[in-house]
Amino acid sequence: MTPLIKLENVHKSYYLSNGEEIPVLRGVDLEINKNEFVAIMGESGGGKSTLMNILGCLHPVTSGKYFFEGEDIGHVKDDFTLAFIRNKKMGFIFQQFNLITKLTALKNVALPAFYADTDKHKRETRAQDLLDSVGLGERSGHKPTELSGGQQQRVSIARSLINDPEIILADEPTGALDSQTGAEILQLFTDFKARGKTVIMITHDLKVARMAERVIFMKDGKVLDHNYKVPHV
Amino acid sequence: MFKLETIGMAFEALVSNKFRTLLSMLGIIIGVATVIGVVSIGAGAKAQIEEQFKNLSVTSIIVFPTRGTGNSKLSEDDLGAVLAESNFVSEGNASVSGSSNIAFGTEQASATIMGITENFFSVSNLNFLHGENFTLQDNQDRNKVIILGYTLAETLFVTPDQAVGKTVKVNNRQFTVTGVLEENGSSTFGTSYDDTAYAPLNSAQQNILGNNAQVRLVFLANEVELMDLAQDEITSILRTEHRLRDNQDDDFQLRDPGSIVSSATETSDTLAFLLIAVASMVLLVSGIGIMNVMFVTVAERTKEIGVLKAIGAKQKDILTQFLLESIMLSITGGVLGIILGMSIVPFLKDYGAIQSISGAILGFTFSVIVGIFFGFYPALKASKLDPVDALRSE
Repeated sequence: MTPLIKLENVHKSYYLSNGEEIPVLRGVDLEINKNEFVAIMGESGGGKSTLMNILGCLHPVTSGKYFFEGEDIGHVKDDFTLAFIRNKKMGFIFQQFNLITKLTALKNVALPAFYADTDKHKRETRAQDLLDSVGLGERSGHKPTELSGGQQQRVSIARSLINDPEIILADEPTGALDSQTGAEILQLFTDFKARGKTVIMITHDLKVARMAERVIFMKDGKVLDHNYKVPHV
Repeated sequence: MFKLETIGMAFEALVSNKFRTLLSMLGIIIGVATVIGVVSIGAGAKAQIEEQFKNLSVTSIIVFPTRGTGNSKLSEDDLGAVLAESNFVSEGNASVSGSSNIAFGTEQASATIMGITENFFSVSNLNFLHGENFTLQDNQDRNKVIILGYTLAETLFVTPDQAVGKTVKVNNRQFTVTGVLEENGSSTFGTSYDDTAYAPLNSAQQNILGNNAQVRLVFLANEVELMDLAQDEITSILRTEHRLRDNQDDDFQLRDPGSIVSSATETSDTLAFLLIAVASMVLLVSGIGIMNVMFVTVAERTKEIGVLKAIGAKQKDILTQFLLESIMLSITGGVLGIILGMSIVPFLKDYGAIQSISGAILGFTFSVIVGIFFGFYPALKASKLDPVDALRSE
């Protein structure tokens, strides 16, 4: 079976204005199958976020190959294609939720469907269903500032699901939440996986990482361990 | 595909920062209002000039006798001579004017009386409302017929249409009214056409004004370009007619009111152009203001742009949204400017301003162009932002 995601010797460098090269990823090889729940751990500066940006098609690779559903998209620069993948195939979850503050919860959730040209009635009905499913059906008319951190993160999960993506990419999704709220969020990921979908999550929290089926450990821009055994504290 | 809802989103974005939105629109509002004020003043000035000179053709040449040169007189014979001999003039009339009492029954008025040749009305752009013009024969026979200006006819008769065929007393002689002129509204040389009564030249001289009344000739040159040639020619024909020797001065004067009209029109055109140039400057500056505000907005919302890209917004979507914001900003400013401009025009009445729809159209078009032109670059910049950099910004 073709893996959902496959990286082959992926390098990523940033360039300073004086032309100096700062290598961040130095040859990452990685496979993630459909319906896996994977956590990525590692020291800060180890390249976790850069890896996530590449997986999320926010960055092209400097060299190497990125196969998504069997197609090499690592060097694609066409905005239309990249926007399409981000819109339809992936759902992003951020540590700081990143909701649009002037829009209500319902409009926030419906926004990716707006960019997918779904008609207003259809997308708002689905947005309401999703808010119901994350337990915020009553709060659909509230703006993000009127919601708690945990509630905001649940809105952002609902948003990531509106176009029925294959995969959720979550960068420290519980980093700004207390452990009780964090656990509720992780339960939503587990539910998503139970429906045959894939979750990739960056975390530095061992307890959080333990919720995943597999933990990938990164160091100095490389994958150190493809199946890291999380130590019990 | 353009989505109508993008307009709603742009609107929400503008409403969410009302004060800034208002401030950035201020330039456009003032700019558009200025354009409207300026165009209204320009249109007013032009209309005034046209009104003042509407009975003067740009090709008309007026000949007066020079005062104080003794036996200086112009006559119908002079008119005939010029019309017969001139190559550049084919129409003309002779007239005298003075004033007299005019009465119908108990109604009385003091009116300007003009003695004219029968083609006076066509040369002066005057039309008949009722009845008709007198004939060449009436002039030769010194018939006591008279034509009334509109206001005069109204004063003497209850309604002007009753005047035709009636007999009025002018200078205690009986004249038959043959026609009434359309209301004209304007005047030339201080005399209103509406307050004047017109009799055949010879009849007016003999029966009303006396033979000392000075005859004035008006000619129309065939083309505007021939004005100078026509004036030289008239001068030489009249000198021959009056048997003036080479060392004698002209005993008549030529005036060329058309040149006054065209220079006045030119002045008002120059003024209008100048004012519009100033208003355009205001709009240009306001456009730069909008560009500035849009850059600030883009900078402020960099993170939001990153998020939108991460959830699948295309560059085109971002471009459209920000461009629409600046267009809506300037259109709203334009509309408010039109309202402001239209409402200050009445206060500019003293400067001759009149409402002109072309000012509103011009101002509105300008504001839309400003919005698109100055909004495009910030919007383009927003759409090209790197999503990762944008997400990282605070």
